[in-house]
Amino acid sequence: MARVRLEHVTKRYDDQGDVVTAVDDMNLDIDHGEFICFVGPSGCGKSTTMETIAGLTIPTEGEIYIGDREVTNLPPKDRGIAMVFQNIALFPHMDVYDNISFGLRLRDYPQDEIDRRVERAADIVQLEGMLNRMPEEMSGGQRQRVAIARAIVREPDVFLMDEPLANLDAKLKVHMRTELQRLHKELDTTIIYVTHDQEEAMTLSDRIAVLDSGQLQQIDPPLTCYNEPDNLFVAGFIGSPSMNFVEGTITENALETPNFSLEFNPSSIDGVGVGDDVTLGIRPEDIYPGELKSEVPDPSGMITATTDILEPMGDEIFAYLLLGDGETSMSQELATNDQLLMSIDPDSDLEEDDEIGVVIDRRNVHLFDSATGEAIVHDLIPYEAEGTASSSEVESDD
Amino acid sequence: MATPTDTQEQSSDGPLQRWTQSAIQNPDKVYQALFYAAMVFFLVTTLFPFYWLVVLAVTPEGNLLSGSFLPTVNLFGVSGTFPLPVPKGFNPGAFVTVFEQVPFHLYMLNSFALAVTTTVIVLFVASLAGYVFGRLRFPGRALLMLGILAISYFPPAAFVIPLFQAFAGNAPITIPFTSIPLFTPPRLLNTPGSMVLPFSALFMPLSIFILTTFYGQIPDGLEDAARVEGTTRLGALFRVIMPLSAPGVATAAVLTFIAVYNEYFFSSIMATSPEAAKWSPIVGGILSYQTQYTTQFNLMAAASIVGVLPVVILVIVAQERIVSGLTSGALKE
Repeated sequence: MARVRLEHVTKRYDDQGDVVTAVDDMNLDIDHGEFICFVGPSGCGKSTTMETIAGLTIPTEGEIYIGDREVTNLPPKDRGIAMVFQNIALFPHMDVYDNISFGLRLRDYPQDEIDRRVERAADIVQLEGMLNRMPEEMSGGQRQRVAIARAIVREPDVFLMDEPLANLDAKLKVHMRTELQRLHKELDTTIIYVTHDQEEAMTLSDRIAVLDSGQLQQIDPPLTCYNEPDNLFVAGFIGSPSMNFVEGTITENALETPNFSLEFNPSSIDGVGVGDDVTLGIRPEDIYPGELKSEVPDPSGMITATTDILEPMGDEIFAYLLLGDGETSMSQELATNDQLLMSIDPDSDLEEDDEIGVVIDRRNVHLFDSATGEAIVHDLIPYEAEGTASSSEVESDD
Repeated sequence: MATPTDTQEQSSDGPLQRWTQSAIQNPDKVYQALFYAAMVFFLVTTLFPFYWLVVLAVTPEGNLLSGSFLPTVNLFGVSGTFPLPVPKGFNPGAFVTVFEQVPFHLYMLNSFALAVTTTVIVLFVASLAGYVFGRLRFPGRALLMLGILAISYFPPAAFVIPLFQAFAGNAPITIPFTSIPLFTPPRLLNTPGSMVLPFSALFMPLSIFILTTFYGQIPDGLEDAARVEGTTRLGALFRVIMPLSAPGVATAAVLTFIAVYNEYFFSSIMATSPEAAKWSPIVGGILSYQTQYTTQFNLMAAASIVGVLPVVILVIVAQERIVSGLTSGALKE
């Protein structure tokens, strides 16, 4: 059983006198067979965290366990891991067979065992008949499959994948993504996967670990990260296009923002007091045109806005709305407070520069503490008060 | 020359002017001409001495000192000196005599063994150094590199006397300016050790520089991949980094090999007399054809030619390797 645990792992670099903390007190507990994605912007420490698990970097502080063994200071070869690299890193002077069997040959496996395993790995990633090719004769996708075969042939306890799809074109990426999921189902091995692409993380993983500036922000199943982000960073990072944020202040019976007010009962929500500065977060799909108000379970009051830009995506249209007086000038960057992104039905006859009314689904309004960025609540109208069924679905993940 | 159909100005120009005119139109012509001029220069300066050796080698010993190597030729009534030396007689037996008079093959074997041993040692140690300098970041790296560079600029002669004293193994090595003995070195004179050690030290810096550059260019990902797959850092160096740097390794190896194969200064001192049994190298063998009273130039020339052959073969073989290494795009990732 390959459970992976990180305890207080910290990695500091000395960059010409400046101490840079790449990973800051990371605690993780990854179960056997779990598919975990590390996501975050570049420089957030996700690759460094993976390197400490692989043994390519030794952490400054903290311990790492794979299975029941402490591996903090073990060299990579003794950790029972296999890794797929972002730049694929096939050995250019070896053909596909030699690349895949490299690790087995180093460990002095008998020749027939090597042949059998290479055959099986090549079969899994569909590389039959290419074992004699050199890496430079292959396409990007084929090389990536060789790299994956090289990893699975050793039957490791843990797979580490460092942005393995980053260098592939969009179509191949989607294809390889499903292949990876199939692979995970087939192998039943722990997979730790690093990506900066939140969409990849959402689709692949059992749980997502969101990292920022070396710190773990949240580790939860994808939908929990999406529906109940722990803080502003996770809320903004997960989901594409990202969540709208509007700053406001709590009053006796509403949330007042510069351009609109959202009525609710602050006393029904823990952690909110009158006069608090909060940030309202609302996803584009939870904003509706005014004419659909009757279909929204718990609509807000009508908010007037002007459509600015429309982005038809085919299955939906992203409409950028300007709040307030609707005046824009190109030279001046829009304050986020004055802008909302709404996702609407593709059949809508909305035009640019239309003045419209929109409503917000108050059940899906997130409130964050403006000072700390911590989430306060993920619905303005408590579900218990309405007694709806959907509450159990969201909260059962906790 | 200009024909009546040419234009007026062209007919008045000489061939040099016309060539100049067209070269201005097409500068490639000039570069090509310069290329050929340089080629001819290098061919003459490198191949003429070799030709001169051949002329000497096949001239019978008795004819060596009498008459000129530049014969007078009489062509259509005009007599003049032929501009190239030609052999005075033909005696290919000199190439056999060299092995009869002196065990020249043993000297060659000495040089070969010394060169191979030194090359292996240099490649191994310089690979380790090249790995460290090329791939690791640590404080003082530039300073250390500079130190190696500085040492490589010392004239080898500066080391001869202390090394000879040490390798003689008569007296213990003392701490400088005191008489406190440190250790007594073994007697290494007349053994390969007394030559391989200084050669390795002298030719190391160049190889370190070459290998540092090459090893530094191998992507980190490949080394990481090798380590995850099950090698140690050293294993990654010898299994992945070194094979991928084949052109650089070959260059360092060929340069070291040739330098040691041709070496005379240290070996003439460390081998106390030019005998094959005392590990005297090729040059020592060549000089053995010279006695107090006679100098057999033809045999010396023949021995020089025989001695050069292995290096020529090595360079031809290695060159093909280098070129193939450079063109196969092995480093493309």
